[in-house]
Amino acid sequence: MRAALVIAGKDLRQRLRDRSAIVIGLVAPIAIAALMSLAFRGAETFHYTLGVVDDDHGPLATALGGVLHEPGLRQVVTTQSLPSAAAARTAVRDKTVGAALVVPTGFSAAAAAGHPAALTVVTGADNATAGSVTASIASSFVAQLNADRLSVATALAAGAPGSEAARLQSLATTLRLPLTTVDRSVGATPLKAVSYYSPGMAIFFLLFMISFTSRSYFVDRSQGMIERIRAAPVRPHEIVLGKALSVFAYGIVSLGIIALVTTAAFGADWGDPLAAGALCVALVVAVVTLATLVMAVARTQRQAEGISAVLVFGLALLGGNFVFLSAAPPIMRNLALGTPNGWALRGFTDLATLGGGLRTVAVPIAAILSFSAVAGGLSALLATKAVRS
Amino acid sequence: MTVLAIARASLTRLVRDRTALFFLVVLPVLVIVLVGATVRGFSTWKVGVVDEGAGAAGQRLVAALDRSPDLAVDHYPTVRAMSTAIARGELNTGVVLPARMDEAERGGSRTSVGLVFEQANSSMQAAATAVAAVVRAEGVRVQAAQFATAQAGGTFATNLSQAARLEGRLPRAQVRTVAAQASSSILPEGFSYAAPTELVLFVFLSAVAGGAATVETRRLGIYERIVAAPVRPRDVIAGETLNYLVIALGQSLLIVAVGALAFGVSWGDPIAAALLLVCWSLVGAGAGMLAGTLFKTPEQASGIGPVVGITLGMLGGCMWPLAMVSPVMRQVGHATPQAWAVDAWTALLARGGTLATVLPDLAVLAGFAAVFLLLATHRLRHVLAG
Amino acid sequence: MGDDVLRCDRLRRTFGARVAVDDVSFRLAPGEVYGLLGPNGAGKTTTIKMVCGLLDPDGGTVTIGGRPARDDLSVRRMVGYVPQDVALYPDLTATENLAFLGRLYHLRGRELAARIDEALELTDLASRGGDRVDSFSGGMKRRLNIAAGLLHHPALLVLDEPTVGVDPQSRHAILERVDSFGRTGMSVLYTTHYMEEAERVCDRVGIIDHGRLIAEGTRRELVAELGQKDRIELAADGDLETLAAACRRTGGVERASVADGTVQLVAADGRRTLPAVIEAAEHAGVPVRSVDVTEPDLEAVFLHLTGTALRE
Repeated sequence: MRAALVIAGKDLRQRLRDRSAIVIGLVAPIAIAALMSLAFRGAETFHYTLGVVDDDHGPLATALGGVLHEPGLRQVVTTQSLPSAAAARTAVRDKTVGAALVVPTGFSAAAAAGHPAALTVVTGADNATAGSVTASIASSFVAQLNADRLSVATALAAGAPGSEAARLQSLATTLRLPLTTVDRSVGATPLKAVSYYSPGMAIFFLLFMISFTSRSYFVDRSQGMIERIRAAPVRPHEIVLGKALSVFAYGIVSLGIIALVTTAAFGADWGDPLAAGALCVALVVAVVTLATLVMAVARTQRQAEGISAVLVFGLALLGGNFVFLSAAPPIMRNLALGTPNGWALRGFTDLATLGGGLRTVAVPIAAILSFSAVAGGLSALLATKAVRS
Repeated sequence: MTVLAIARASLTRLVRDRTALFFLVVLPVLVIVLVGATVRGFSTWKVGVVDEGAGAAGQRLVAALDRSPDLAVDHYPTVRAMSTAIARGELNTGVVLPARMDEAERGGSRTSVGLVFEQANSSMQAAATAVAAVVRAEGVRVQAAQFATAQAGGTFATNLSQAARLEGRLPRAQVRTVAAQASSSILPEGFSYAAPTELVLFVFLSAVAGGAATVETRRLGIYERIVAAPVRPRDVIAGETLNYLVIALGQSLLIVAVGALAFGVSWGDPIAAALLLVCWSLVGAGAGMLAGTLFKTPEQASGIGPVVGITLGMLGGCMWPLAMVSPVMRQVGHATPQAWAVDAWTALLARGGTLATVLPDLAVLAGFAAVFLLLATHRLRHVLAG
Repeated sequence: MGDDVLRCDRLRRTFGARVAVDDVSFRLAPGEVYGLLGPNGAGKTTTIKMVCGLLDPDGGTVTIGGRPARDDLSVRRMVGYVPQDVALYPDLTATENLAFLGRLYHLRGRELAARIDEALELTDLASRGGDRVDSFSGGMKRRLNIAAGLLHHPALLVLDEPTVGVDPQSRHAILERVDSFGRTGMSVLYTTHYMEEAERVCDRVGIIDHGRLIAEGTRRELVAELGQKDRIELAADGDLETLAAACRRTGGVERASVADGTVQLVAADGRRTLPAVIEAAEHAGVPVRSVDVTEPDLEAVFLHLTGTALRE
C-alpha cells in the first residue's frame, strides 16, 4: 500500500507539472459550462414581447387585453402597443417584438353579429415559438365566441324550433366551455441547462484521464520505469493501484472543484452533496477501470492513444455530454444508459430535479459500478493472460 | 516540387495515424448523425399524456393534440413517470386525462384536464398555453353538443358529430397567421442544421489539433534537416500550408458528400458553397499552422487544441444558433471566424442565398485566413531561422 | 560459502522455443565485482532480470543474502538495479526522481534526504539536483541512472551494460566508480560485452555465450587455461571471411574469427605461426596489411572457447 501511495504521489506530481492537465481538468470544463449556461439562459426562460395593435377599440379587444395580462401569461409575454398592422410587421421583422397580434377594425361588432372575423398573428421566421404561443392565446380567446355560435347552430340542427333561436342565443352567451384545464405542479424542479452541462463537461474532461493514464503507463514502460519500479520491493498490483489512486485523487479533486465553482458562479445545482459525491466516486472508479482496460488491451503507446481517444469520444457522444440528452429521441436516451457517463448524467439530472439523496442515485451508482466491475474484470482477465504468455 | 514533397511527407504521416483518421473522418460523421437526430424543433413542444380512464373523450382530445403541428405527443403510464420526464426536461408539459371524462361529457358536466408544468418555468408555461388552446378548441364542439342535447334532445354522440360538421361551415372568429419575414436566420432543423455547423466546427478543430504533427516535426528536428537541404524556408511553409489545406478540404468534401448522400442535405448555391469551403479550409489551415508554431509539445496541441476549437465553436454558433443568444454574446461570437462561416451557411441553406449574399462573409473569412497564415509564417520563419 | 551475497543455481529461462539462459550457476562474495562477459544476445540481460526478480526462472534458483529471491520482496531491498537504458522520469528533477525511487525502497525523511545528497555527490551531480532530467546531457543521465540504484545502499549492485553509448570520459568515470564500490564492500554484478572493461574492473569474470556460462574465474585463471597461446590480430584488405577460413587451415592456428574489421586468431605460438599465416593470406588473395601479436587476454579466451570473437 505504501508503494502504491508513493507511485500515486509521483503520478500526481507529473500530472500537475504538465499545464495542459490543469487546462483540461479545470479550466476547460468550467469555461465551457459557463459558456453553455450563458447561451441557454435565454432559451430556458422563454419570454417575448408581443406587439398588440388595437384597431377595434371594442369590448372584445378589451377582453383580449385582460387575457394577455393574466398571471400565468405574464411570465411569457410582455405586451407593447403598436399603432398599425404595418408597424407590427416592421417590428417583427426588426425583431423589436417576437410576434404581434392585430385586432382589426370592427372585430367586436362582427363577432357580435355572427359575421366572420379574424384576429391576425404576425410571426417572424426567427421566433417561431413566439408566433405559435401568440396563435395559441388568440385561438383560446376566440374559442368561446365560436363555441357559443356553434352551440346555437347545433341545437337548431338537432331539432330545436327556429323560433327558439333568439332565446337559445342569449342562453348560449352564459355558457362556459365545458373542457377546461387545471394546472398541476410537477412536484420537481425543472432542469436548468447549467445543471446539466456543468456535470456534463466535468465528466467529459474526466474521461480524458483514460487517455492520460494509459498513455503515461506506456511512456513509463518505454522509459524502463515500470521495470525499474518492479525491481524495487513493490508488488505488481501496487503499481496498478498507485496509478489508479492518482487518477482517483485527480478525478475527485477536479470534479469537486468544478462542482463548487459552477455552483457558486453559475448557479448549477449538483444536488445533495453526499449523493453527488457518491456519484462522482462511482464515476471515477469507472474511469479508473476503463484506463486499466486500455492498458490491458493496448500493446503500444500509439495503440493506447488511439483506443482511448475513440473510447473517450464514443462514450461522451453516446452518454450525452455534448447534447442535452433530455431533448434527444428516446432511443438515444436508452443508448446513453449503456455508458457509465450517461448514467452519471442521469443521476445528476435526477438529483437536480427530483431532489432526494442517496436513494435517488442508487440505481445510477449501481449501474456505473456494474459497468466498472465488467471493465475491471475484463482488464484483470487480459492482464493475467498477458502475464502467463 | 519541394513544396509538394514536404506536403506529401506530412500527409503520408497523417494517413498512417489511425487515431487522427478517426478524428478527421469518423467522429464528424458520428456527431452529425447524433446532432441531426437530436436537434429537432426549436419550435415544437413535447407533450406527455397520461390517460386515467377518460374513454372516447380522451381519445378525441389526444387525436386533436396529435393533429397540432406545434406539439409532439408521447404517452406515459403514470403521472409520476410523466412528472419525472418533465422534470428531466424530456417533456415541456404533460396532460392528465381524468377518469370518467367521457361520461362527464355525455352527461353534460364540465371536465378539467390536468396540465402538468411548472409555472415558474416560462418555456413550460408557453407549452401549456399551446396545449390549453387545443383543449379549448376541442371544448367548442363539446359545448355545442352538450347544449344541443339539453335544449333539443338527441344523443350527445350524434350532436357532437353534427357540431363537427357545422363547425366548418359556420362563419367563425378565426386566427390568421401572417409571416412578417419569409426567410430564417436559423438553419433548417435536423441534418441540414447539423452538417454545416459540424463542418465548421470540425474542420477548424481537426486543424488545430493537427498542429500536434507540426509541433512534433519541430521537436524531432526535421525542419532543421529540411532547411539543411537546398530548400528555402518559404517552401517549407508553403508545403506545410498545402498539407493543412488538403486535409481541411478533404474533410470538408467528406462532410459535404456524407451530408448530401446520406442525409439529403442540400448545400445551396454550388459556386458560393465551393468558395465558402475553400475560404473555411484556408482559415483551418492558418489556424492549424498557428497551433503548430504556438504549442510547445504535441500533447498540448492535441489536448488544448480541441478545447480551443470547441470553445470557439460554441461562441461562433456551431453548437446552437446565435439567433438564440443575447445580443452581447452574438457580438462576442462574431469575433470568431466560426460565426461568419455559420452565417454564410445559413444564408445559403436557409435563405437560398447566392455568392453575392455571402460575399461579405467570405471577405471576413479570407481576412481571418490571411491573418492566421501571416502570423504562422512569421512564427515558423523564426523557428526555421534557428 | 554461506555468506555469499548472490547465488545463482542452474538458472534456466526460455522464451518460446528459444533457450535464453541454460543451466547458469555462479556466486558472488561480499565486495566482489563479478563480470558477466558475452556478446549481445548471449543471455546476460535475461540472467540479470532473473537476479532482480523481474523474470521468473523456468528452472533453478536465485539466492540473495542466503534467502531465496522468489516471492520475498524484502530481498529486493538488498539489490540495486541499474537498467541498461536510462530509466528516469524526464519531467521530474533529479532529486524528485531519486526521492521517488528511494521511497519505493522504504527510505523516508531525513535518511532519504541524506541518501539523495550522497548519491548526487557520488555521481558529481550535487549542483544539478533541482534540474529536470530532460535538461541533462547523456552522460549526466547515465550517472544519475546509476545513482538511483545506489540510494538504498544495496548489498548487491546490478549494472546492466552501464557504459553502452557513453562517451570515453564518462565511461572512465563510471568504471572508476564501479571499482570503488567493490572496495566499500558492495558486491557488483556487471554485464558487458567490452572485454577491456571486464579486465579492468572485475575480480572475477563469467563468460557467457548462447545462454551458457562456458568459463569462469579470475582473469589470470581464465588466461592460464589458454596456456602459452597468443592472440593475433590481422588487418587486411579484401574478404576477411576468406582470410579467416585460410587461417583456420594453417598449422598452429587454433581459432580464427572476423571481428571489428580484423581477423582474430588464437595460435599456440604466435611468433612461429605468423609467417605461415601471412603466406596463407597471400595465397587466399587477401594480403595482410598489419599484424598485432598480443599476450593472451580475455578476448583470446573468448575466441578460444567459442570460436567467435566477442565483438561482432
